[in-house]
Amino acid sequence: MRFNTLFIVLFVGLFSTAQNTKKKKDSIIALDEVQLITMIKKKIETDMKMAVSVDEFLASSDNISFIKRGAFAWEPLLNNMSSERSTITIDGMHVFGACTDKMDPITSYVESNNLDAIDIKSGQEGNMHGATVAGSIDLKRKSTPFNLPKKWNGAYQTGFEFNNKQFFNLANASYSSDKFVADGSLAYRKAENYSDGNDDEVAHSQFTKFNASLGLAYKTSDLSSVKVEAIYDEAKDVGYPALPMDLWLSRALITSATYKQLFEEGLVRAWDTKVYFNAIEHYMDDTTRPENLVHMDMPGWSTTYGLLSNINLQSNKLSSEIQLNAYNNLSTAEMRMYPQDRSERTMFAYSWPAVTTTFAGLSINNAWEISDQSLLNFGGSLGVNYNHSKYVEFNWIFHPGTPQEKTRLLPSLHAGYELNINKFDFSVGGGYGHRVPSVSEGYGYYIYNSFDRYDYIGNPDLKNEISYEGNASAGFTDNKLSIQAKVNYFYIQNYIIGRILSLGSPMNYQSVGVKGYTSLDYSTLFNFSLNGSYSILNNLHWKGTLTYARGQDDNGNNLPFIRPLSYQTALHYKYNRFNFQTSINGDLEQINYSPEYGEDQTPQYTMWNLSADYTFRIAAYRTVVQVGAENILNEYYSTYADWGNIPRMGRNIFTSLKFNF
Amino acid sequence: MKNINFFVAAIALAVTSCTIDKTDYEAEIRTEVIEHINFEEVVSISENDYQISIEALNGTFYKGYNEIRVNISNTQTNEDLSTSDVTFLPLVTNYNGNNSSCPHQYSLDYNTAENYYDGYVVFTNISNDSEQWKLYMSFTDNGETYAVTQNILVEEQVNKNLNMTTFTANDGEQYFIALVAPQQPKIAENELVAGIYKYNQPTNEPGTFPDPSQFSYTAVSDYTLLLDPRMPEPSMGNHSSPNNEDLTQQDDGLYYGVVNYTMTGNWTLNFRLQNQFGAIIKGTEVSTEFTPGVEGARSELHIDILF
Ligand SMILES: [Cu+2]
Repeated sequence: MRFNTLFIVLFVGLFSTAQNTKKKKDSIIALDEVQLITMIKKKIETDMKMAVSVDEFLASSDNISFIKRGAFAWEPLLNNMSSERSTITIDGMHVFGACTDKMDPITSYVESNNLDAIDIKSGQEGNMHGATVAGSIDLKRKSTPFNLPKKWNGAYQTGFEFNNKQFFNLANASYSSDKFVADGSLAYRKAENYSDGNDDEVAHSQFTKFNASLGLAYKTSDLSSVKVEAIYDEAKDVGYPALPMDLWLSRALITSATYKQLFEEGLVRAWDTKVYFNAIEHYMDDTTRPENLVHMDMPGWSTTYGLLSNINLQSNKLSSEIQLNAYNNLSTAEMRMYPQDRSERTMFAYSWPAVTTTFAGLSINNAWEISDQSLLNFGGSLGVNYNHSKYVEFNWIFHPGTPQEKTRLLPSLHAGYELNINKFDFSVGGGYGHRVPSVSEGYGYYIYNSFDRYDYIGNPDLKNEISYEGNASAGFTDNKLSIQAKVNYFYIQNYIIGRILSLGSPMNYQSVGVKGYTSLDYSTLFNFSLNGSYSILNNLHWKGTLTYARGQDDNGNNLPFIRPLSYQTALHYKYNRFNFQTSINGDLEQINYSPEYGEDQTPQYTMWNLSADYTFRIAAYRTVVQVGAENILNEYYSTYADWGNIPRMGRNIFTSLKFNF
Repeated sequence: MKNINFFVAAIALAVTSCTIDKTDYEAEIRTEVIEHINFEEVVSISENDYQISIEALNGTFYKGYNEIRVNISNTQTNEDLSTSDVTFLPLVTNYNGNNSSCPHQYSLDYNTAENYYDGYVVFTNISNDSEQWKLYMSFTDNGETYAVTQNILVEEQVNKNLNMTTFTANDGEQYFIALVAPQQPKIAENELVAGIYKYNQPTNEPGTFPDPSQFSYTAVSDYTLLLDPRMPEPSMGNHSSPNNEDLTQQDDGLYYGVVNYTMTGNWTLNFRLQNQFGAIIKGTEVSTEFTPGVEGARSELHIDILF
């Protein structure tokens, strides 16, 4: 685990829209990604480490935390809410994991070398790609602009991490000309089991991942282009030490075709239309766990077709983005248990009984520059969500007579006001939005949760979760010092969570009972973060972050997976072509843990990390070599969000080498 | 460019097909459990100018519950009898020469809508070398009574969802429980239908053979069959399902309840038989504990099914 990367604020996200808008306005004619109301692009690396996984990179944002079930494919929590409460997209495309045990968050299907940036939006500001409560995480793929002089670009990065013997090779190349652009990347990582702070090997924590991506763009006219893109991702032999099963194979194919039209003048400035298709297959494997009483196969499939169309409008003081989202997803997951006498008939059931989700929605977001100092962001969306359960008889077992189909309306509204006065900036905002229960929450069938050891049953009749949120920030920036405080508060009606059912009995032998997804009257969530940076000397910088969160249900009980008070502090020193970084980070003791939802108290931990890099040239190629160590003190620890309290990685020395062509 | 094209083609080929195919669970159950829906002729008997045809599902008499449809036609007039009194008595003769019967409907009903005589028989064992089944039937026409006998073959019921059980209850009576439906269960709420019968001890001395009063069975009335379905497989830890309903008698004399099967495989229907006065006369309550690794203990009154 690498919390070392957390000390920095990479994404200004929610409260930084103003500067962005201005910056981007002039360059509208360039046939590049046109993002009027959005984000900052940033290389996918952290201050501490230049060769990071997508998870490590995400972890460097202070409103993201992770549930970790091993060394691979961490589930991102945005604003301390689980992944069903946020929309996670790749270039706006919806992709749905095929694992009932959440082994495969969408972030596990990309690689750091095919991403350009990750756009994180908090709360209803993230409604652009669909209904959400927590916000949105959009993984932006690399996209090289058209270039008049023909140009080849590339980078190759390799490295080794000593703790888990992770060896990785990342290569990407791009070719651009006036009419044609190609982007490609290849990545391969292979890691063995890691060792914890007691130098004990954590069994089943190995992984192997291959990822390839390709994008081809052709300029059809001065102001229009077409682009086809594909990502192929394959993870094999991945261990999940916190789960009773591992992964044999997971494959994803993520494809899209985009037509982009720009307009030099007029109200409409850019129009992007994308059709996409992605398919995921996921096969778990428990043959690696001979101690299991039952052998079972648990395959899952998820197929999504989608369309999105985005128009940028620009008038004098107002810029708007309108997006149409439509997609259709089919999620199926099976379990087949083998009796001890293998000649007997196997026992079969669907854990997702072929559930179709069809969504169509229109989102509008506007930025209105009231004056040079102030900006008003406001927007809304309206979506229609339709679910269909093919084998509805499964759902009838716990919910007799529940309809096979369900249509829901998902409205969303938000507004935020930003004010910049000299070196100070302030913002205040609010939002309202609905989200639909996820496939597992609505239609899941005996999905074993190894955290609280219950089998979970979905409820198709769950009401929409309704979120009311407020947020505010205040900051100060000058040449040397920058400090920013952010708070947000969510009041979530019909909060969906598992509650013990007095009906039925477990199906999975490790279970202690059956829980059904039910709606609490409400829950509340509060998030606070404080970020600071200071330039002590020209080449010596300090950064620090403090975060605090609190989540409670309608009885005042704590919600699970809420991060305790956490801190990061880091120093960066530059000397000639050398960079040195060191950081300390940790969580305090988890005071507000939730025994009702299977949590126990997690003690505090502190982590110290160090790295150094050197930039030089081999021939004409800029080369960077980096050496560092995470968890230098080899502390034995696990965090509040480590599934089943599995210990995190002990001391890890990492090295990497990067060539830029 | 060629390389790129090749790359794209390779990717497309690699992923457009699933590594492992999805399960069509309905088709899987269909191959595992054969459902018979067509009535076909099992035996045909000629008697004077009459032709008697007996139909059952799949043209076979199986151990357990069999619905029978009887058609009697006059071969001279080519007309089917519809006002006849038809009786039906199955007897099995064991190697000692002793006769016994099984639950059956002695006087068949005429189904005016479908034009056949309707009844049922619950064979308690299959035909073998030492035990031969024979039908003793009679019918009337024009004031005359005709009697026929016919050897029949009773075969093993391979569909465990149509299993049956025989037992002596605490009241000293002999009972029979035979599953009637579902033939082919689903992972769902299933309407569970069973026949519950009792042997009526003869009160008089036997008359001329075959004397039906010596072989009398009736469907019991106003009993309740308490149900607790569980999976016996040790690794399933005595797994059960929610929302099941006990079986109660409906107008057709059969007992109807609801069983939920949460997955395919072996299930045990644990029963307790409660008489019309609310007394449990057979069956033990089973543990509701979840006991992974231990085979679930069955009620002393149970039927195993499989789908
Ligand atoms: Cu999985």
